[in-house]
Amino acid sequence: MTQTAPTQSEQDALNARLEQANRQLLQSEKLAAIGQLAAGVAHEINNPVGYVYSNLQSLESYLNDLFRLTEAVDSAASLEDLRLIKQNIDYDYLREDLKDLLAESREGIERVKTIISAMKDFSHIEEEEFKLADLHRGIETTLNVVNNELKYKAEVVQDLGDLPEVECIISQINQVIMNLLVNAAHAIEEFGKITVRTRHIGDTVVIDVEDNGKGISEEHLNRIFEPFFTTKPVGKGTGLGLSLSFNIIEKHNGDIKAVSTPGQGTCFSITLPVTQPDQNSDD
Amino acid sequence: MIRIQLVDDEPNILSSLRRLLKPQGWQIDTFSKVEDALGGLLEHEYAVIVSDYQMPTADGVTYLQFAKQKQPNAIRLVLSAYGDRESMIKAINQAEVYRYLSKPWDDYEVVAAIKAAIDLYQLHKENQRLREENDAQRAMIKAREEELLRLEADNPGITRVKRDADGSVLLTDD
Repeated sequence: MTQTAPTQSEQDALNARLEQANRQLLQSEKLAAIGQLAAGVAHEINNPVGYVYSNLQSLESYLNDLFRLTEAVDSAASLEDLRLIKQNIDYDYLREDLKDLLAESREGIERVKTIISAMKDFSHIEEEEFKLADLHRGIETTLNVVNNELKYKAEVVQDLGDLPEVECIISQINQVIMNLLVNAAHAIEEFGKITVRTRHIGDTVVIDVEDNGKGISEEHLNRIFEPFFTTKPVGKGTGLGLSLSFNIIEKHNGDIKAVSTPGQGTCFSITLPVTQPDQNSDD
Repeated sequence: MIRIQLVDDEPNILSSLRRLLKPQGWQIDTFSKVEDALGGLLEHEYAVIVSDYQMPTADGVTYLQFAKQKQPNAIRLVLSAYGDRESMIKAINQAEVYRYLSKPWDDYEVVAAIKAAIDLYQLHKENQRLREENDAQRAMIKAREEELLRLEADNPGITRVKRDADGSVLLTDD
């Protein structure tokens, strides 16, 4: 049997299917990444929920004490009795501690709120079109999502330049940055440093994610963007993170490269054009 | 005074636990850095140590293992937001923790667990004290017996002298 060359319409259909498959892959990689982060995010939420919940129970007992005092205003025989109750419930401590209790609880709730909204921003499925976006906000969101993976492994230093709004699919750029951050944390054995750097050069912006981890050996370095290439143990990495990152950046007409010195660390640099050359609509 | 050590890298957790435990009247020492907590172990004797699991410089199990060497009597508890199997197994096998509590916690549960841990600590202490007392008494008895044996060896029959009620020696032939 001989295979005839596909006609133009067949080719278009195939291209459309390929595009569709790519989109699905991207989405499932994103969900897989979120799945892997879920334990960390749960930890991040359980901490504030833990103390806010406990504080509420303490607040209840404080209020019971205070009510005991206010109700005694009617029933107490003398002012001395009231003073005694006030002393008894350790009024001065209650007063002081109530402020702290409320401030700390508020802080806890704020933190949960930040994490939830970061997760929401991050998992946006619909956003599929190029729009002007603030990359720094994207970096902030991503850092909030992966904070738990990072904070026990590294100090994160942000060295952010002045960036214009960049025409991009921000949810996809976030995903790339998340991949780089998580990889950076995995490359660090004890406790290290991760630097996120941004700058504006001509009509491009550059985002660096640099770590001082164990580095990538020469023979691995030119394979890291291959699909399914991973050095992580089975079940830990899909081997798709960097390959998809590469695709995303390519689709943005940008460039992603890695420079690494084994034993000293790795720096991934993403270069993106500020505006996309001609709306290349391949949908 | 019962002294309790709380270790967690999150200061707000420490203050909420302090609030929770205040009415119990125990001396509560809180540490947000593992290094400082180690210092605390050298200064005070603790009945109970409650540690977080995931902390920046050392995990809770590593810390509790160290605490076990320094203060084997202190009862160890983990309070963690990380409830995976691996960390629990490590906590039980390596740090020999008495309870593994999870965040968010139930106040009642935490207080009850610490109370139970204090009971256990006091039981161990009491046990130890009784054993020491027992050993001391046994040593006294042994010294006395040796003295009697020595006397008997020097003067055979001296430990078997019969006396009457007012203490005079009775010389009777059996």
